[in-house]
Amino acid sequence: MHTIKTLLGLEFKSKFGSSGLKDKKAVIRLVVSLAFFALVIYFLYAGAKLIFGMFDVAGMARQALTLIFTLLFILFCVMGVSNTIKVLYYKGDNLILMRFPVTDGEVFISKTLFLLISQTAITIGSVVPMLLAYGVTVGVDSFFYAMIPAVIFFLIAIPYFISNVLAIPFMHLTNRIRNRFGLIIAMLAVFIAGMFACYMLIFSSIVTFLNDSSLTIFSGEVVDMIKGMTYYFIPTKYFADLLLKQEVYFAMPALIGLTGALGAGTVAVITKMYSKTLLKNVEIEGSAFKKITVNKPRPVFVALLKKEFIQIFRSVNYSFQYFVLACAMPVMVYFCNDIVTAIAKQSVGEQAAMGISILVMLIFATVITSFSATSVTREGNNFYQTKVLPVPIRTQLLSKFVIYAIVSFSATLICVTALAIAGYISALNALWLFGITESLALAMTLRSMKYDIKKPNFNMVGEGELVSNNTNTGLAMGFGFLVAIVMGLTSIFAAYFLTQTYMYLICSGLAVLIIAYCLLTFFYKVTKRYNAIVHR
Amino acid sequence: MLKIDNLYKKYLGSERFSVENLSLELNKGEIFGFLGKNGAGKSTTIKCLTGIFPFNSGTITICGHDISSDPINAKLNMGYVPDDHSVYEKMTGREYVNYIADIYRVSKADRDARLNQFLDKFNLQRAVDLQIKSYSHGMKQKICIIGALIHNPRLWVLDEPMMGLDPQSMSEILKKMREHCAEGNTVFFSSHNLDLVAKICHRAAIVSDGRLHSIIDLSVEENQKTLEETLWQ
Repeated sequence: MHTIKTLLGLEFKSKFGSSGLKDKKAVIRLVVSLAFFALVIYFLYAGAKLIFGMFDVAGMARQALTLIFTLLFILFCVMGVSNTIKVLYYKGDNLILMRFPVTDGEVFISKTLFLLISQTAITIGSVVPMLLAYGVTVGVDSFFYAMIPAVIFFLIAIPYFISNVLAIPFMHLTNRIRNRFGLIIAMLAVFIAGMFACYMLIFSSIVTFLNDSSLTIFSGEVVDMIKGMTYYFIPTKYFADLLLKQEVYFAMPALIGLTGALGAGTVAVITKMYSKTLLKNVEIEGSAFKKITVNKPRPVFVALLKKEFIQIFRSVNYSFQYFVLACAMPVMVYFCNDIVTAIAKQSVGEQAAMGISILVMLIFATVITSFSATSVTREGNNFYQTKVLPVPIRTQLLSKFVIYAIVSFSATLICVTALAIAGYISALNALWLFGITESLALAMTLRSMKYDIKKPNFNMVGEGELVSNNTNTGLAMGFGFLVAIVMGLTSIFAAYFLTQTYMYLICSGLAVLIIAYCLLTFFYKVTKRYNAIVHR
Repeated sequence: MLKIDNLYKKYLGSERFSVENLSLELNKGEIFGFLGKNGAGKSTTIKCLTGIFPFNSGTITICGHDISSDPINAKLNMGYVPDDHSVYEKMTGREYVNYIADIYRVSKADRDARLNQFLDKFNLQRAVDLQIKSYSHGMKQKICIIGALIHNPRLWVLDEPMMGLDPQSMSEILKKMREHCAEGNTVFFSSHNLDLVAKICHRAAIVSDGRLHSIIDLSVEENQKTLEETLWQ
């Protein structure tokens, strides 16, 4: 028992760092985290209230509850499988723990307790505000509130058991494709773009509802379809039944039976396969692929570019987020632009369209360029190589910049082309928009790189892999969002109060100023600062 | 070949110098050992002369090129093997060596010949097209050494090169050091292994608390025997 407690403590420490409010910074961090948490809860409550209101007008409050439970259930299962794989099977500490006098059972129990506690916190934090929103919007009796703990219990237990049963097969699948980077990036890009498109379609419906909340946004056919579909959503419709006192005598035993069966399945999987899989995974984590190449001389700069590309492309934690976001950016820009332009045109006028496009494009460009805030520290333990090589630091930095520039150039070009083809902007405007957003994206890349050079944060995980986000990424995002807002609002106001020509002139001037600022701050003592970086 | 004059290095935030008034001169065709206890300043000196660390004052010249004012030419004449064998592990062995060869502008003929020779010598033929992350400790050290020697540098610097290596690999590296030296090049390496230094080096320097304690001529047999005694003084 003592061992389990120690291991559980270690698990929490590795996830959240050392506990305690030792200094002012720790207190501020806690307050900010709590404020952020409260904000998320509020948004969940407000968002759920809006959705339940929308469905209630159409007489589908119960179906809305089932749909929300279904979405949460799928999300918890996906998160559960992913966390179970990470914590139980892939976490670097498995290798360390195996050397200590602790049993497989103790390691499993401590890790699974950690997963359960995390899942309980997430479930309560997300489900309670939504159910309260339902109660307030639709009007419910005390039975509804009394049943909330039971529903939360099932929402924790069932996804948890499903995750444990599915984790091993999923892990074997990912092990098979783990070195096929191109395939994974393509699959993730399609998945994220699809998810985003769905999300924006829902958002679009909400916008329509907000414009006239007395009307239902659902046609009769859609209402019938949703009602028919949700009837078959098992087991999630039982959660709604339980809360709304409908067929409780069937829903409750069904959920208990399902939990019991999945629990038994989990016990069987764990006892038969946990130890074996753990050992196999420790072995697989060090495995690598074979690639037969020939000795081929390349110019120095091309060699640097190739090295940069390999470092990003073959880094699981980093490249998947970077390339996947870049690939999905055009879809995101298209949908965002579509919805926000519709709102802005209604409230401001036709003149707002270009400003909105600039704002949206720059927000997504910021997300992409913020990755360059780890361009130097990503070298990790190989940072010494950059100092030892007979290549000027500026050339090495240029190679990093060019890699980011190629990605942002391609993403921006596709975005602008998509907007032009869809008819949101003319060809000439598209050219101007491309010039402005791409040059600002390049300037923001330089700014992000300088953040990394000025205050490098060599934070590694696993096999020397850099964690993708750190303070510098946050700073880069903050700067980018500020540029996006300033540029977007200037464009909207200039077009509204002055003329379109003035808008182009003012925005171009402002962009030149921002670019000049980024260039100056980047080149100011860049080599000196780089040479002053000391790592190991 | 390598000249260090009055080197001073103090880490940011530190009150004392890690290297203080250190001067050394290495000749052509010599294997030079760099000895000292943990924290004596060996690695710091090596990191200063390779360009990894900036230093407070003094000069370091490699083949007549100042590392501060003419770093590119100085570095072109040097190959460096770090103490932790850090290499780009996402690359395959061949990709890594080709990357280094590209940076040092090594011709195709030279890189083909040298790489094949090294792969045979270090028994890495079967592993060279595998990702480096699957390599053992010794294999990583060997690929580091190949990377450092692919451009046939005039000065070869190694920081604790024998750490964690098996006897066969150690013997291969020692052999390569002697061969490199016999070709008129210079080898400079830090070590804790006194027997090894006594056996292979022409001269050795002992550093203590960041200062040069003494330079010992190891071609004199008596000095080889008293090396340990001198180190503890």
